[in-house]
Amino acid sequence: MADTLTPARGAGPSGGTAGDGGENADGTRPAGRAVPGTGSARGDAPTADDRATNFFRTVAGTRTSVASRLVTGVNRSLALVLLAGVWEVLPRTGAVDPVFVPPLSEVLLAWYDLLLDGRLAEHFQASLTRSFSGFGLAIVLAIPLGLAIGWYRPVADFLSPVLELFRNTSAVALLPVFILIFGLGETSKIVFVFYACAWPILLNTVSGVRTVEPLLVKSARSMGLGPVRLFQKVILPAAVPTVFTGIRLAGAYSILVLIFAEMVGAKAGLGYLIQDSQFSFRIPDMYAGIITISALGLLFNLLLLGVERRFSTWRTT
Amino acid sequence: MSAHGRAGRRGTGAGRGAVEQGASAVPGHGAPAARPAKIGIRDVGKTFRVRGSDRPFTAVDGIDLDVREGEFLTLVGPSGCGKSTLLDLVAGLTAPTRGEILIDGRAVDGPGLDRGIVFQQYALFPWRTALANIEFGLEAKAVPRKERRERARHYLDLVGLDGFGQRYPHELSGGMRQRVAIARSLAFDPDVLLMDEPFAALDAQTRESLQEELLRIWEKTGKTVVFITHGIDEAIYLGQRVAVMTSRPGRIKRVIDVAFDSREGDLRADPRFGEYRHHIWTLLRDEVAVAQEQERTIG
Ligand SMILES: Nc1ncnc2c1ncn2[C@@H]1O[C@H](COP(=O)(O)OP(=O)(O)O)[C@@H](O)[C@H]1O
Ligand SMILES: [Mg+2]
Repeated sequence: MADTLTPARGAGPSGGTAGDGGENADGTRPAGRAVPGTGSARGDAPTADDRATNFFRTVAGTRTSVASRLVTGVNRSLALVLLAGVWEVLPRTGAVDPVFVPPLSEVLLAWYDLLLDGRLAEHFQASLTRSFSGFGLAIVLAIPLGLAIGWYRPVADFLSPVLELFRNTSAVALLPVFILIFGLGETSKIVFVFYACAWPILLNTVSGVRTVEPLLVKSARSMGLGPVRLFQKVILPAAVPTVFTGIRLAGAYSILVLIFAEMVGAKAGLGYLIQDSQFSFRIPDMYAGIITISALGLLFNLLLLGVERRFSTWRTT
Repeated sequence: MSAHGRAGRRGTGAGRGAVEQGASAVPGHGAPAARPAKIGIRDVGKTFRVRGSDRPFTAVDGIDLDVREGEFLTLVGPSGCGKSTLLDLVAGLTAPTRGEILIDGRAVDGPGLDRGIVFQQYALFPWRTALANIEFGLEAKAVPRKERRERARHYLDLVGLDGFGQRYPHELSGGMRQRVAIARSLAFDPDVLLMDEPFAALDAQTRESLQEELLRIWEKTGKTVVFITHGIDEAIYLGQRVAVMTSRPGRIKRVIDVAFDSREGDLRADPRFGEYRHHIWTLLRDEVAVAQEQERTIG
């Protein structure tokens, strides 16, 4: 059965089973309704991404007996321990070239050195600032816009051709444009992150507003609610879970696309650290950077899940 | 058969008489002598435009019905005959294409807190607790917060859900949800309660206990109730009068007065109950056949 965090109509909760492919599209599918003609060019990204999300959903959301929790816990850490072991052993036995894949212990030592000399903190902070700025901006702008599009037919009709065009334009393809317009500095990176984050939030918000149970609207109308109160008291709260699905997707994007931008042109940031380490052949540093990014993505997702859970205690199981 | 006799007086033919009577009462507005019916439905028709067809679709047509103040009226009819459509019209959620609907002699022009609706699917707000759901209509009525809470508690008690106020709808059983929905509609103190097959989704036992409680609440509060059902027994058990509708386009075929000498004991075992049941069943039989034929041909 679905766990407590199962979204009413968001991404699939079933822990990345084969069936998920279809449900995952939900993040993007509403777009089909928001703006006529689906055909998502981004179809693949959310799938892979959401699979990861689902995995952590299950980790955070399972509320079964203590015993079975323990078993799953051991199970999961066992896989991680195995991975770490393989990473340590294979380079040492020479099965893989230790120059390109150094043993995990060396990577961890390199990570510790980066931590001690303050460089890790510097890059980490640079990335986090850009990521949060773009992500925050996307939340602040895309949610109101999505609400307007979902609620006012004329706004939707007016904007949908443009939205449809941009939605199908990959953010990555637009990075050179952002750099041309905003330069190589912080602005272009933040705009880039903002652009990538805005879509899942916008599309999910639109769908959240559009898919409110008509009977609830009817019931509220029967109690004499006008359009404004109806929106405030029914549409908004009903849309919250779907909006959160978009926010979580955007959270993952914010880190993914930023790393890319930092690899293309930056003087600081985790993406820069990885790229620079590779160019100067500090391979352990490169892996240290990669591990840090994974950890960051994981933490961010858990944080958003926590917030989401606080806001949707009423969700049915 | 006494039921027949009474029904005859209130049949469709007699309905016309009621219209004239009602209509004459309207111009006087506050006329104290001939008090207007609580709900007056005057020659009401509703057509829908259907996509992909230029012929309008008539759901109900020429409906005449008066509901008296404080009366419990049940409405039965074949599926798809326009019962819900009629209720939406009385609720003011949609406007009639023909005729008019009067509440206390004044034409309905939109929804209002003088009428409360209870739907079959509860229509509770899932993000609100039971208490907060009951408060919903009170917020719309701008009742101060403290009084809202008190009133919500009162009605929660009234429907027997004391102690379940902090539960979310998904944490309640179907019967409990419907109790909350009833409490929500009662809380803003409407004169009229409109119920659209409210117990149809419940199991038999829950339904029976809710029927009894509804009667108890009705006697206590004196509301005017219009109750749609597809259960003949339910209609007879609850209603002081049972209005039988024809197949679509729905009209009122007959209105039957239901009277028992006493409501003590098992009403369903009363021989009169069987007579009423047979009578209504006979009235419905032909209509159901027509309705089923319609469904086959229209698809
Ligand atoms: N908004 C609508 N648009 C078009 N047809 C409708 C609409 N609402 C109801 N109908 C049609 O009107 C008829 C009566 O519906 P309804 O009142 O729900 O019947 P009942 O409640 O008696 O089963 C049905 O055939 C239904 O399909
Ligand atoms: Mg109906």
